[in-house]
Amino acid sequence: MNAEPIIQVSGLHKWFGMLHVLSDITIEVQPREVVCIIGRSGSGKSTLLRCINFLEEPSAGKIMVDKLVVEAGKKGRANRKLIHEIRLKTGMVFQEFNLFPHMSVLDNVIEGPVTVKRMERAKAVEIGMMNLDRVGLLVKKDEFPNRLSGGQKQRVAIARALAMEPKVMLFDEPTSALDPELIGEVLNVMKKLAQEGTTMLVVTHEMGFAREVADRVVVMAEGEVIEQAEPASVFNSPRDPRTQALIERYRSGGAK
Amino acid sequence: MTTENFTGAPPLVDPHQSMGEGLVALQKRNRFIQGIKVTAVWAGLIALVTGGMLMLRISPAYMLAHYNVILQGAGTTLYVSLVSIASATMLALLGSISRLSSNPIAQGIAGFYVSLVRGTPLLIQIYLIYLGLPQIGEQITQLGFPAIGKIFILDAVPAGILALSLNYGAYMTEIFRAGLQSIGYGQREAAIALGMTPLQVMRRIILPQAIRIIIPDVGNQFIAMQKDSALVSVMGVWEITYIANRYARRDSKYMEMFLVAAAAYWILTILSSWLQGWLEKRMAQAYER
Repeated sequence: MNAEPIIQVSGLHKWFGMLHVLSDITIEVQPREVVCIIGRSGSGKSTLLRCINFLEEPSAGKIMVDKLVVEAGKKGRANRKLIHEIRLKTGMVFQEFNLFPHMSVLDNVIEGPVTVKRMERAKAVEIGMMNLDRVGLLVKKDEFPNRLSGGQKQRVAIARALAMEPKVMLFDEPTSALDPELIGEVLNVMKKLAQEGTTMLVVTHEMGFAREVADRVVVMAEGEVIEQAEPASVFNSPRDPRTQALIERYRSGGAK
Repeated sequence: MTTENFTGAPPLVDPHQSMGEGLVALQKRNRFIQGIKVTAVWAGLIALVTGGMLMLRISPAYMLAHYNVILQGAGTTLYVSLVSIASATMLALLGSISRLSSNPIAQGIAGFYVSLVRGTPLLIQIYLIYLGLPQIGEQITQLGFPAIGKIFILDAVPAGILALSLNYGAYMTEIFRAGLQSIGYGQREAAIALGMTPLQVMRRIILPQAIRIIIPDVGNQFIAMQKDSALVSVMGVWEITYIANRYARRDSKYMEMFLVAAAAYWILTILSSWLQGWLEKRMAQAYER
């Protein structure tokens, strides 16, 4: 493996009150790598992802994104600036899309570059159109989100994150809110991004996607990483009994 | 229905499409007929009221001769209401953000303001500002700061605007708060993840969505304010109610003058409702399916 990871999470803990949701998590993501985090609901995988761009504040531990290191519990202006820069380096895709309903599709996509990066509108539009084209929705650029299907909304949300030209894309169960027949189009876009060399950290219940696209699979249970390896080894010879149960449920069609 | 008649082929008509169009046309006609019926009822009611007035020997000639002085007052009423609703909106924005903030000082001040203002009558607030504040100004002047003391002595119009702004600002703080709270947390998170600062999140994402939701309520407040502005007549501001009152007393034409005044308020509020409807339609564009 490469010596210079793009994301490095070390000794991460998260408490919600008395509840210990994440316990001593240590993971790395290499540049151009696709890592899928799988696990049952409530295993802490979404919380882990949200700690990386500080939508959740870590209780303890260290987060490193592209050489920027933030230690949990630190306050102050310098720390806030670091967190802001980490957010610029990470693109986030949510389960519920969270498109801005008062803006057209194109305005959604250029909002980040124009407002946050203070980019000239013409240049932002150029980048926005390119990224809408990447997700195959350039034709919808003047529509409002309300008129799109769930799958289309999520693809626009992916374009919106890509338009910020992040170093790494974070996906938080991107297909969990979709009707079954719409899941494929979103997974196809993600697969294409992976093939283009986008660094991706994906929390998902889509075992098929993890197995086919991921370079590495991280398995979580009860707030801990219980196993991480290449998909073939996780899916064919899972070591931990909880992983075995998870894979078994997927095989028998119990889990998506 | 696009056809290619130039090839000589018969026009292609989708029977379902024409059936749909027929339904839409029918609905349109039904709405039109309903509109005519409702308008007729309104006309009947107006005729009834007018007839009643004439039978009671109310003088239409007097009303016609004096509607122009009321019109002059309407200008003042509109001016006072517009300035007041604008500053009340600013106050409400500030108040609602303070009420929702985690800062205990901001939260405390905003909560105190809303409670105090909503808990006391507008008329008393007007008296306090117009007649009470100068008392404080006098004391400050006696302490040797006449420049500061003068600030507390307000003319009738500014005093009225201040009272209406403070009063409506408090009610509208609650409207704004509800509007801001109705925007889902996912919107905030998506904006934060893009790297927006809290101010950018508010200005670009939360406020534009909240404004659409609160426009009907703000329109309501504006209409209520136009009528509550009648209370500033107690300070002798030459607005609709004050003028009506003056002429009515002079000529003992109470019914006539107050009916004209009532009509003036009515027309003002009807115009405001139209404006509100237009704004609502405009803001709804993004949400049409």
